[in-house]
Amino acid sequence: MKKETINLDQFGMSEEELFSLHPNNESEAEKITAPRYSYWKSVFRVFFRKKINIFVLVLLVFVIVFAFVYPPLSGYDEFANLMDSTAKHLTPAAAMEKFGRNIHWCLGTGASGNSTFDAVWAGARISIALALVCALINMVVGVIVGALWGYSKRADKIMLEVYNVVGNIPYQLLCSVLVLIFRPKFWTMVFALTITGWLAIAHFFRTQVLIIRDREYNLASRCLGTPTLRIATKNLLPFLTSIIVTQAAVEIPSYISMEVFLSFIGLGLTDTTLGKLITNAQSAMLTPGWEMEFWSPVVLASIIAIVLYVAGQNLGDASDPRSHMM
Amino acid sequence: MTKYVLNRLIRGILSVAVMLVIVMVMIFTLMDRQLIFAADPVFSKRTNNAKTTYQYSKWEEYGYLDYVTYADYLTQLTKSGEIDEATRADAVKLGRTPEKDSALTKEYVEKFTQYYTAKGYAVTRLDTVMNGRKVANGGQAALFAAKDKPIWDRAIHYFTGILEFDNIHYVQEDIGERKLTFTLYDPMYGGEKFSPAIMGNGTYHKYLLYFDSKFPYIHQNFLTLHLGKSFVVNQGIDVFDTMTASQGAYIPTQITYPTGLTEQSADDLHTATYVPGSLQAGEVLYGTRYTDDYTQTSTFKGGMSKMGYSFLFGVLSVILAYLIGLPLGVWMALKADKLVDKIGTFYIVFITAVPSLSYIFMVKTIGYALKIPTTFDLESTNKMMYLLPIISLAMPSIARLMRWMRRYMIDQKNSDYVKFARSNGLTEGEIFSKHIMRNAVVPIVQGIPASVLFSLVGAFYTERVYAIPGTGGLMVTAIQTYDNNVIVGICLFYGLLSVVSLILGDVMMAAVDPRISFNTKAR
Repeated sequence: MKKETINLDQFGMSEEELFSLHPNNESEAEKITAPRYSYWKSVFRVFFRKKINIFVLVLLVFVIVFAFVYPPLSGYDEFANLMDSTAKHLTPAAAMEKFGRNIHWCLGTGASGNSTFDAVWAGARISIALALVCALINMVVGVIVGALWGYSKRADKIMLEVYNVVGNIPYQLLCSVLVLIFRPKFWTMVFALTITGWLAIAHFFRTQVLIIRDREYNLASRCLGTPTLRIATKNLLPFLTSIIVTQAAVEIPSYISMEVFLSFIGLGLTDTTLGKLITNAQSAMLTPGWEMEFWSPVVLASIIAIVLYVAGQNLGDASDPRSHMM
Repeated sequence: MTKYVLNRLIRGILSVAVMLVIVMVMIFTLMDRQLIFAADPVFSKRTNNAKTTYQYSKWEEYGYLDYVTYADYLTQLTKSGEIDEATRADAVKLGRTPEKDSALTKEYVEKFTQYYTAKGYAVTRLDTVMNGRKVANGGQAALFAAKDKPIWDRAIHYFTGILEFDNIHYVQEDIGERKLTFTLYDPMYGGEKFSPAIMGNGTYHKYLLYFDSKFPYIHQNFLTLHLGKSFVVNQGIDVFDTMTASQGAYIPTQITYPTGLTEQSADDLHTATYVPGSLQAGEVLYGTRYTDDYTQTSTFKGGMSKMGYSFLFGVLSVILAYLIGLPLGVWMALKADKLVDKIGTFYIVFITAVPSLSYIFMVKTIGYALKIPTTFDLESTNKMMYLLPIISLAMPSIARLMRWMRRYMIDQKNSDYVKFARSNGLTEGEIFSKHIMRNAVVPIVQGIPASVLFSLVGAFYTERVYAIPGTGGLMVTAIQTYDNNVIVGICLFYGLLSVVSLILGDVMMAAVDPRISFNTKAR
C-alpha cells in the first residue's frame, strides 16, 4: 500500500491552530455518546412520517372540535318545526328553498321538520363522548386486569371462573334488567357498556400475556424477586403496547354500533345520538327522497370510526419501539 | 396436562351452574312479570277477577310461581277420597263475599287457607264484582293460593332434571310385564334384516338402543337430555329437541308396524314414546298399526336440524375465513405500507365501521345481480345457494384475522431474534416459515376452537337475511317472547360451549408454543 502524506503547510495555519491541548475532563469521559432517545418523541416521529396520518389526525380533531362546538352554537331543537307539516322529510334542495340558503338545511329535514345536519352533529357529540369514555374505562380496566390475570396462575384460576359466569350471561337479558332498574341517562349507558365490556378485553390480554409469561427475561425478573405488579407493568405491558393500541382502535368505533343496539332495545338515551338517529330513520332508508335522514348519521358514524381506526392502527405501528430504529 | 384440563372442566361446569342460577334470578325475580302480557290478546279481553286469575295461571305456566285454586284443591281432595263428589260440588260454590258463604264452604275455605298458609302460600280471595244487580263480566268470586318458586328449589329441580334415565318403571299405568328385550332382528325392518335392538315395555321410549341409516348409525334412548321445555315458541318441546330435530320434506320408507302392517311411511318407529290411552283414543288411525300405547313417533325428514345447518354454514365460513384471512394478513405484513397493505386496511376499516346488516345486504344484492340463489331452500339441491351466506359470514372474520395476523407478524418481524437469524445467513423464506410464522400464529390458534364450536350457535342476521333455518334467532326470540325455560336452556348450552372452547383454545396454544405451560406450581 502506498503511504499518503499530507503536507500540513497547505492549510496555512499556525502550529497552535492546528494542534491544541484539550483539557482532560474525567466526568465527560464517563458519558456514553449515543443519540438521545425519547420514546414518545420517536413514536410521533414515526407516526408523522406517513402523510396520511397528518390528514387523518386533522380530520379527527376537526370532527371532535366541530361536534363539541357546533351543537351549542346551532341551538338545535328537534321539535322547533313540529307544527309545520310542510317542513317534514324535505330533500336538501327543498329545505333550502323553504328556509333559505343556510348550512343548517344542507342535508334536508327529518321526521319532525328538524334540520338533519344539526341533528347529526348533536348526535355525534354524545356518541363520541360515550365511545371515548367507555373505551377509556374498558381498556384501562381490561388491560390491567388482563395483565395480572395472564401473569398470575392463581388469578387465572379465579378470573377464568368469573369469565365463565359473567361472560355467559346473555347481554340482551342483562340490558333488559338494567332498563328496568335505571333511567336512560348518559352514565347509565356508560354503566351498561362497561359492566361486562372490560371482561372480554381482559381475556384477550390474558392470552397475550400468557404467551410471554414464561419467557426467560420474566423468569430472571422473578428470580430477582420483582413483585408481580411491577412485572406486569414494566415487563409485560410495554411488550404489548402495539397490541393495546390496535385493540383500542377497534374498540372505540364498536361502541357506536353497540349504542345503536342499545337504543334498539330501549336503553337508548332520550337525547339525540347517532345510534338513535339511525334506529329512528331505518324506515326512511327505503323511502325515495328520505334517504339523507338515514345515510347522514351512518356516514358520519362511519367517518368517525374510520378516522379513529386508521389513526389507532398507525399509532399501533409507531408505538412499537423496534420500528424506531429504521 | 390431563389433570389440569379435567380440573378446569369441572370448575367450568360449576361456573356454568352459578351462571344459570344468576340468569334464573334475573329472569324470575328481577324482570317485570307484567311484560309477558304485553302482546297477549286474551289478557286484554279478560276483565275483573277473570283477568287476575288468568294472570296467575299464565305466571304458573311460565314458571314464575306455584298457583292452586280452591276448586283444584277440592278436586284433589275428592281424588284422594277425603270427600265425596256431592260434598265437592256443594263446597266449591263460593259466596259473593266471605260472609255469604254457606257453612260447608266456610269450613273448606278455612281448611284451604290454613293448609296453604302453613306451606308459605299467599291466599287471595276476590269478591264478586257486581254490575248493577248482575255479576259483571268475568267478575265471579275467586279464591286461590300462590307462592313464588324459591330460587334454590327451582335451580335444584332444573339441575336434577337435565339428565333423565329411562327405566321400566316409568309408565304408571298397568302395562303388563315390565321388561327389556334384546332382539337381533329389529321388527321395524320386517323382522328379517339383521339389526340388533333393545326394546322396553314400561319404559318411556319403546326402543332403547337401535341401528338405522342416519349418522351416527347407532342410537340410544336410555339417557335423555332436557334443557328446558318451551311454552311459547315451540310449545311443549324441549329446546334441545328444537335445535336437533331434522327439518324439511317427509322421506317415506318401507316400514313394518307392530301389527305387521307394511306400508310406505315417514314415521320413525324407533322414536316411539308412551302416551297413556292413545291406542284407544286414536283407534281409527292407530288400530291397524300399533299394538300398544307407544304411538307417538317423530318422522323422517330430508333436511338437517337447525343446529346442523348453523354448524354447516358456520364451519364452512370459518374454514374460508382462515384460508383467506391468514394469508392476506401475512401478505399485508410483508408489504407493510405498500399498496396491498393499504387495500387490506381499507377492507378492515370498511367491515369495522359499516353495520353488519348493510354489508350482508350488499353481498346479497351483488349475488342477485350475478344470478346466484339469494335465499336458502330446503328442497333445492343447488350447491350455489350456500355461497352467499358463507361469504357474508366469513367477511367479518376475515377482517378480524387480517387485522391481528398483520399486527402479530409486524411485531415479530421487528424482533431481535429475526435480525439475528438474518445476520446468521438464514434465507428470508426460512426465517419466515420457521421463525416468524410459528410465533405469530400462537395467539391466533387460541381462537380456533371457539370459532368452530360457536358455529353451533348460529348467526342472527345472516340466517335471517338468507332464510336459513338455523339456531341463530333462538335466543333473541326466547328473550322477546319471555320463553323463560328456553332462555335458561340455551344459556346452559352456550355456557358449556364457551367453557369447552376456552379450554381447548388454551390446550392448543400450549401445544403450538411449548414455552407456554399450565403445569407449574401456582404463584
